[in-house]
Amino acid sequence: MSLLEVQNVSIRFGGVDAVRDVSLAVEEQQLLGFIGPNGAGKTTMMRIIMGMVRPQQGSVNFRGKDITQWSVHHRVQLGLALAQQIVKPLHSLTLLDNVALAVGARHMRNPLQAFLNIDRSEARDQARKLLDFVGIGNVSNAFPSEVPLGFIKRMEVARALALEPGLLLLDEPLAGLNQTEARDLADLIASLVTPLRSVLLIEHNIGEVARICAEIYVQENGQRLMQDRAERVMASAALRQAYLGEHKS
Amino acid sequence: MSYEIAVLTSMSIAILFALSLNLITGFCGQVSLGHAAFYGIGAYVAAMLTKVGLALPIALIPAAVMAGVVGILVGIASLRVRHDFLAITTMGVGFLFVGIVRKQDALGGEIGISGIPSVAFGRPGLLLLALICMVLFILLSIYIRRSWLGFAFESISDDEDTARTFGIDVSKFKLLAFVVGTAGAGIAGGLYAHHIRFIGPDSFGFVESVTVLAMVIVGGIGSIAGVAVAAAALSTLPLWLQFVDDYKLLIYGSLIFITMRFAPTGIAGIVRTLWQKRQAK
Repeated sequence: MSLLEVQNVSIRFGGVDAVRDVSLAVEEQQLLGFIGPNGAGKTTMMRIIMGMVRPQQGSVNFRGKDITQWSVHHRVQLGLALAQQIVKPLHSLTLLDNVALAVGARHMRNPLQAFLNIDRSEARDQARKLLDFVGIGNVSNAFPSEVPLGFIKRMEVARALALEPGLLLLDEPLAGLNQTEARDLADLIASLVTPLRSVLLIEHNIGEVARICAEIYVQENGQRLMQDRAERVMASAALRQAYLGEHKS
Repeated sequence: MSYEIAVLTSMSIAILFALSLNLITGFCGQVSLGHAAFYGIGAYVAAMLTKVGLALPIALIPAAVMAGVVGILVGIASLRVRHDFLAITTMGVGFLFVGIVRKQDALGGEIGISGIPSVAFGRPGLLLLALICMVLFILLSIYIRRSWLGFAFESISDDEDTARTFGIDVSKFKLLAFVVGTAGAGIAGGLYAHHIRFIGPDSFGFVESVTVLAMVIVGGIGSIAGVAVAAAALSTLPLWLQFVDDYKLLIYGSLIFITMRFAPTGIAGIVRTLWQKRQAK
């Protein structure tokens, strides 16, 4: 059984098929690249997996449970975590507290538990380690408005890691970064896969995806195009056609 | 001396009332323009119970419970609306409360309830009770702020969609903020009714909701000390300056506008900035 199984999901927005009859699986300890041209429905798929939108057809299974109708917070509690395409730091908190909040998520499963827990020092210590791990420990006391985008993207990764997810969803983490920043962050993402954690990487930067992912899933116009080993995907005519509109000779 | 006691009692009740809104609006980011309705519920419940012989300290409990229960209902109805839509919804609740009370003969209708009994030990006794309630609510606010509950509220206030991605059940936390905040307003209302000893529907109208919102905004949304100082100052101004009482809505409305335009972090933010500048020198 796969860690995540998305089966035949479809969703329409205002009469437009954003995702149509798509199936996707992520295995244990896998770094799966997820690519597709603009409008392919990549972010919609991510939102379906996280529960931010519910598919009109199909199902989402995670860790053997059908989570199709589950709310976002229940999915997070089961082991899903997301770093979003458009960074969403909590602006009133320092980078350290942004991550500490995620570290202490177990204290906030319900309001009573949250009320009875006071100590934040342990969560802050763990958050400091995570910020060091993603390479921005030196700015942990800065506010999101005081650091560049690349730092906030790393903070988002640290925040998602803090939830100790079984599957980490990364939605275009390299977008907006320069080549060096993108390469460094891609290396970091590759190192995130462990026996207890898989990563689903949605990304436009195909070069970096092909470099770090052994397997790639491709979606086009809301439909599954292929899923194969990276070198085969990169060599396929169907991928070129999807991105460049070339026709097979 | 009795004048000073009356002023201090007004001040304590106003601080409690403002901090109860601060918990909803300041801590959890849920704007409310109808908070006076819960103040009114507490006032009516406590007044009716003391009129049939219950002691005020005991009557404050059902006052808080009733306000809290209605707070949950309003909270549930408000879960799907945010920001300006929430403000309008809660404003509607405020009008609804006044509209309903006006038509209930059992609640005195337009005339209201008069002859509310005095508290044991008279005015000093009421002051003591108000001070105890105020201090307890301040301590509760400080505790919540320091706990993970406060941390969760802060994240919801900042961005509730992001808070959900931490596994936080946003709806439950918002409802809790509504319950605690509205129950606090209910206690403040019960004390107010026994301070003035006459209540009518107009005592809990839109002007009161704007007044308490002005206290929270001028003090600094979310700041316990700032809101307490603003509530103390704004509640005593009408007692000292007659024109403030005459032009209450105009003055408090202007204060909200000026604060939001020029110093959105309120008194607390100004003091914090000045302190940081002084530390930097």
